[in-house]
Amino acid sequence: MDVLIFMVSGTLAAATALIFAAMGELVAEKSGMLNLGIEGMMATGAAMGFVAATVSGSYTVGFLAAAVLGALLSAVFAVLTLVFRANQTASGLAIGILGLGLSSAIGKKFESMTLPGVPDLPLGPLAQIPVIGPMFFQLDVMVYLSIVLVFATWYMLNRTRLGLTIRAVGESPENAHALGLPVLWIRAGCVAFGGAMAGIGGAYMSTAYTPLWAEGMIAGRGWIVVALTVFGTWMVPRVAFGAYLFGSISLLELSIQALGVNVPSQLMSALPYLVTIFMLALISRNTLFIRLNSPASLGATFRL
Amino acid sequence: MKLAKTLLATALVGLTALPALAEDKLKIGFVYPSPIADVGWSAELNAGRLAIEEAFGDKVETIFVENVPEGPDAARIMNQMAAQGAEMIMLGSFGYMNDGIKLAQQRPEMTFLHASGFKLAPNFSNFQSRNYESSYLVGMAAADVTESNVVGIVAAYAIPEVIGMINGFALGLQEVNPDVTIKVVWLNSWFDPPKAQDSARALMAQQADVIYSLYQDTPSVVTVAEEEGVFVINTSSDMKAYAPEWLLASQIADWSSFFVRSVQATLDGTFEGEAFWGGMSDGTVDVKSWSDKISEATMAKIMEASDAMKAGTFHPLTGPVVDQDGTERLAAGVTIADQDLLGIDWLVKGVETRLPN
Repeated sequence: MDVLIFMVSGTLAAATALIFAAMGELVAEKSGMLNLGIEGMMATGAAMGFVAATVSGSYTVGFLAAAVLGALLSAVFAVLTLVFRANQTASGLAIGILGLGLSSAIGKKFESMTLPGVPDLPLGPLAQIPVIGPMFFQLDVMVYLSIVLVFATWYMLNRTRLGLTIRAVGESPENAHALGLPVLWIRAGCVAFGGAMAGIGGAYMSTAYTPLWAEGMIAGRGWIVVALTVFGTWMVPRVAFGAYLFGSISLLELSIQALGVNVPSQLMSALPYLVTIFMLALISRNTLFIRLNSPASLGATFRL
Repeated sequence: MKLAKTLLATALVGLTALPALAEDKLKIGFVYPSPIADVGWSAELNAGRLAIEEAFGDKVETIFVENVPEGPDAARIMNQMAAQGAEMIMLGSFGYMNDGIKLAQQRPEMTFLHASGFKLAPNFSNFQSRNYESSYLVGMAAADVTESNVVGIVAAYAIPEVIGMINGFALGLQEVNPDVTIKVVWLNSWFDPPKAQDSARALMAQQADVIYSLYQDTPSVVTVAEEEGVFVINTSSDMKAYAPEWLLASQIADWSSFFVRSVQATLDGTFEGEAFWGGMSDGTVDVKSWSDKISEATMAKIMEASDAMKAGTFHPLTGPVVDQDGTERLAAGVTIADQDLLGIDWLVKGVETRLPN
């Protein structure tokens, strides 16, 4: 039973950083902006969030600082790609590298320091239910917020005028422009939102999930986020499903090892990646559907 | 990150390019694989650098570059150090080996110390520690405090050094309590603090009440153990500050005596490449911060074993030792040869998890 509780509550926590960053990246990509700098933005957010929370003593300040810095970093990306019309792929990679270096500089004095970690928020009587309580209702506030974010992102993209505008810009910036929509501003806003969410996701890693700062602790999770949006065919529920799937398999791997089951651990370490890609490829195998969902102008430079 | 590092490294090396005013100073360069933090592998190596400065004062000048990735960056940085007049270089990671030995052959007048490798040259030493000795001692302590009789290990990769430590740990454990089950989680990653922490939690969920954090450079495992109220043992650095309540002991490595000796030899012109394998007998390996929750009787046994290893009269891997398959690896009274230990690829009976291969 302990193992089951660990698996379920652990999955929710493990997926939280991915959910934040992936929802942000999804919105940015829906507007046609392929931001490959997520890894660096998460790392910067992790460093900034940790430092700000340590110095101020407030996790709220930590998350806000991480969001602001993530947004600033992605604003650089927006300026490069929207104003100077630089290639999105190359600019994103460059900003990502810049972000990694920035995280190292910000966190230099804080290397290997720890925090108590964002406290758990038991949800009243729900938390008292045996088994179910510890699984779902004794987690920290960011886990609950990440779930709210999934629904909010879906609603915003599919049921609001703002979502329609973003999708229109992503499908055909020329037509959106002809309709009088401020294409560049919308794209910049979406990218900034993506950077802020990546910052929060990174800060979640360093202040809640593993409350310490160590350079390189994001360890590739930003790339998982980029992969999730693509393999989830830019659909909110699939991307969220992919994040939880990845989180659960990566914990399952460790649990199976700890159980002493005789399987090669290298294979186990590859399992989260294999299963997530396989599952998402399976549910997204309809190529027509992929073409309908992928933002048609994704990665393309918009010229007036 | 590479770009920032390159700029930083260039700046650092650039600074040292200023004409050396005191020509008689021995300039020693240090290349570290990770940032120097308060704890961890690079911190221990850096402690060795500080020991050199303290021992030799004005006679030496040390420079260092931290967080150097293995590969072209490392080669460039060590070559630059040599170009700036460094006469001795300490290479802090296994992966610097081939670039280091190449430079050593080009510059026979320089001397090199290389961590955890196996190549040697007249001016190129390598150094390792016999951590399996201190692993045996902390294993005894783990057996004393466990109530569930399940002990978990979080380990990076199954390399001989790590396998030797797990075996030392298991044998020490069985010396005190033969009924303990040992579970291992292999991370297959040198650096992933969140994954290390998840592994510790996975082991705890399966009743492990002592966690052995084997070569995790950050306090990830130690802090989660403190949070959950589970005993934890740490390697490389003393992490008492991160788990004041639940740290059972810290295995530490102290390179200062080897570093100081090698610098002296370089100054005297008597340097000879050697494969240094320091243990408890020469003070390279030791255990710090024993928990006061270990019973007095066990503590006395631990001290006895510790004294015997310091005196060189006891080797943890002495037969009879049986591996996981039940095959006898060491007959009664036989001690494992150093050569076999350097390539060890089997785990002792009592370790539940198999080696990944």
